[in-house]
Amino acid sequence: MVTKTEETQLKQLENQVDNGGGGAWEYLCLVRKLKIRRSEKVLKHGSSILNDPGKRSALGPDEWTLNEQVAIAAMDCQCLDVAQNCIKALQKKFPESKRVGKLEALLLEAKGLWGEAEEAYSSLLEDNPLDQAIHKRRVAITKALGKPSLAIELLSKYLELFMADHDAWRELAEIYLSLQMYKQAAFCYEELILSQPTVPLYHLAYADVLYTIGGLENVISARKYYAATIDLTGGKNTRALLGICLCASAIAQLSKGRNKEDRDATAAAPELHSLAAAAIEKEYKQKAPAKLQLISSALRSLKL
Amino acid sequence: MAEDLVLDTAIRDWVLIPLSVVMVLIGVLRYFVSKLMRSSPTPDAKMVKEGQIVIRARNLKAGANFIPPKSFRSRRFYFSNEENGLLHVPKDQAAQNPQAQMFSDPNMAMDMMKKNLSMIIPQTLTFAWVNFFFSGFVAAKIPFPLTQRFRSMLQNGIDLSTVDVSYVSSRSWYFLNLFGLRGLFSLILGDENAIDDTQRMMQMGGFGFDASKSLSAEKDGLDILQHEWVLPGFEHRAESVLRKLVQ
Repeated sequence: MVTKTEETQLKQLENQVDNGGGGAWEYLCLVRKLKIRRSEKVLKHGSSILNDPGKRSALGPDEWTLNEQVAIAAMDCQCLDVAQNCIKALQKKFPESKRVGKLEALLLEAKGLWGEAEEAYSSLLEDNPLDQAIHKRRVAITKALGKPSLAIELLSKYLELFMADHDAWRELAEIYLSLQMYKQAAFCYEELILSQPTVPLYHLAYADVLYTIGGLENVISARKYYAATIDLTGGKNTRALLGICLCASAIAQLSKGRNKEDRDATAAAPELHSLAAAAIEKEYKQKAPAKLQLISSALRSLKL
Repeated sequence: MAEDLVLDTAIRDWVLIPLSVVMVLIGVLRYFVSKLMRSSPTPDAKMVKEGQIVIRARNLKAGANFIPPKSFRSRRFYFSNEENGLLHVPKDQAAQNPQAQMFSDPNMAMDMMKKNLSMIIPQTLTFAWVNFFFSGFVAAKIPFPLTQRFRSMLQNGIDLSTVDVSYVSSRSWYFLNLFGLRGLFSLILGDENAIDDTQRMMQMGGFGFDASKSLSAEKDGLDILQHEWVLPGFEHRAESVLRKLVQ
């Protein structure tokens, strides 16, 4: 995750570079370091550096890293000829290189030649069976081919080996959600919460999944996780606020026939949903006053 | 005798400074040579998996209170159950000496030998050089008084037993540099590469990744962990947050 200082630094550099000031190289280095996806800007500024022979020679050995970065950005923006040129330059300089081999296979993928790309990746994997990036590209190919079950299989095998890779867990959770396999998705989100318990997104997603699975216990847990999200975001997350209200009404419905004990358990924070409703109305008043009526009536219909 | 000996400044110019310079240069040279000779370690799939298991088990320990008790228990079972839990190391494997494993693996033995050699040879050569050229005279004075016991260590070339122990030979200056140049190396070579001889010696003693011990350590940590679900507390906290927001 990117820290606040890095984010401000990035925005500053972006503004500076976009408005014609210098600093393109620092911007590209920062993007590379933080591993964020700014393909259009990288493509524009990277190509301008590469096409200018003076600036290019000023880079020295970093020129090749820039080539790699621009190639990937070009593929992301579907400028395949730019990518091809960069990769050709790299091939000339570093023949027989695994890193360049990866780029070539990526280019095949970008062109849509899935079979050849899959072959290329398999051969790369033979040489280096523990390369995480190649495994993930194969999963990406299966996703692009629209075979989510195969993607799940590959990703599960990958995770058996590299079980601390939280990006992979996140991807797996999303695939499960797309296939409506909610219990498995809940498991993945639990892994994510374990590895990064202070990220509110995971709590929110987990709460959503729990609420979707349904059942009194799950909805009670969902409410707790929505509350955690609210706490972690300082009450700014509208989705969590709405989630609390929905949970409250669902709990009320589900526990209609239950006995007193369960009722008490659910009333752990009785004012929570009324406070959440008030917070939602306040936010709508600030940001979308036209829709305030809508949301007020919706909340009122949810009220117990 | 507590007199002050006056040492020739030529000693400083021709002994102390050249010795330090030579040691720094040898350290830099050794760094570059080790960079050239370093063979990229081909990670073993088993070792990678064990490393990742340890990380995941640690995450489980750290975040255990954030997930529901049932999930925690099922995960703990997955890790530490007796038959096929990931962290469970069967007795026979644990007994196998990791050192024996290391020696039987030719690659690792070669790496170790290379590392040891790259350390021992320059040290030996420099030491011999110091002894040959710079022995038999007083090189420096240590600013604090020492007991007589240090005489044999610090005053090796000086055969006068009446000279104060604070006056040391160049051999001790060599040792001082040996242990002390780490700070300088971290400035010159960048922080990560400032391994000087003391650290290398320590590394020689203790071996690298001892998988079975870390796995069983993690397992013990998980077994004794008491799960206390903190999420209910979050509801109250959210309440207070919202109350403040709505006010």
